[in-house]
Amino acid sequence: MSAEEGVNRERGLAVNEDWAATIAGLVLLGLVLAGILPGWLVP
Amino acid sequence: MTEVETRQRSRVLWAVGGVAVVVVLAALTRYLEQNVPVFTKGTWLGGIAKSVEYPVYAILLGLLGNAVLTGLGFRDRLAAGFRTEFFIKTGLVLLGASINFAVIVKAAGPAIAQAFLLITLVFGFTWWLGGKLGIDQKLRALLASAVSICGVSAAIAAAGAVQARREQLAYTASMVIIFALPSIFLLPLAVDALGLSPAVAGAWIGGNIDTTAAVSAAGALVSEEALQIATIVKTTQNALLGVVAVALTAYFALKVERTGEAKVSGRALWERFPKFVLGFLAASIVATVFLESGGDKAAITTVNDLRTLFLILAFVSIGLEFRVAPLREAGWKPIGVFASATVFNLLVGLGLASVLFANFGG
Repeated sequence: MSAEEGVNRERGLAVNEDWAATIAGLVLLGLVLAGILPGWLVP
Repeated sequence: MTEVETRQRSRVLWAVGGVAVVVVLAALTRYLEQNVPVFTKGTWLGGIAKSVEYPVYAILLGLLGNAVLTGLGFRDRLAAGFRTEFFIKTGLVLLGASINFAVIVKAAGPAIAQAFLLITLVFGFTWWLGGKLGIDQKLRALLASAVSICGVSAAIAAAGAVQARREQLAYTASMVIIFALPSIFLLPLAVDALGLSPAVAGAWIGGNIDTTAAVSAAGALVSEEALQIATIVKTTQNALLGVVAVALTAYFALKVERTGEAKVSGRALWERFPKFVLGFLAASIVATVFLESGGDKAAITTVNDLRTLFLILAFVSIGLEFRVAPLREAGWKPIGVFASATVFNLLVGLGLASVLFANFGG
């Protein structure tokens, strides 16, 4: 892997994690507020 | 199965193993945080155990795991599973749900003013000092972005903007983590010693510590209000990352590389905008509307427990990711620049936070 490819790969990963974290956080919030994920399930 | 497929499969399995290590250590953190105060109650350790909070257990267990895995020779292969950025960003989106949107609106003005002034001054100082010491332009850009904006994510964005080498990125990222780790413990101590209000403390922590995960750890050690303000301030700095990255792209294309191709467009700004900021704002709006329309407060408590879980996963990962080796390869000059910039950031940040957040109540 060239140096430039390495940096681009890191950037791609960072962008994907950004979206993944946003979606994961909002989905979890939605599940709790809708009562689908009850409090006793969260350790 | 071809050799490439086998190698890829093995990489995925190691990454899953890495995530499993993080989850096991996080479970242990939760166990210690809840049970050590019970076990030590009535003994001389009781008072100390009660005041030790989850970020301390998480980071120490991460560092311990790091030492053991490095000793066994597994650490580097498992490292793909230590996803600090994903864990912290998910935790911060969930944190948005515990902040009334009115507080975000109220804090936005001083937070934007502080972020703008701090980024400009600290970036300028680091760039100037790096130039005085004859540091490579690309490394200067990486160091200045990392110390003035938001640590590793800023270094990654700057590395893309100036086409830096992978070693320069790895080196800057290591330095960010090495400096952030002691700040998690030192800044809350300094907050106590200086007697800062929770809002000023949060603004100071948010404007100083480089990585978002470490900001949350230090904020959580001070108080819930400090954590909220620290997060708002840090999130504002994160949001300005795109502007700096685009400016750097233009500067390097026009002045340093002289290719004349500077892509300054709205699309470039959007590409570099940290999307979790939108999730953070959306969570705050949803939770505010939910509560104001008579929603059950217990649901928000559950969201807060989930947020703590993700923060623990992130703090364990900080400990697991910690590496000193890349620093030895780069020599003392960049370390000197980074250390001086950190001190400069601390002083200017304290002044700005004290002025801008002086009258900020809840």
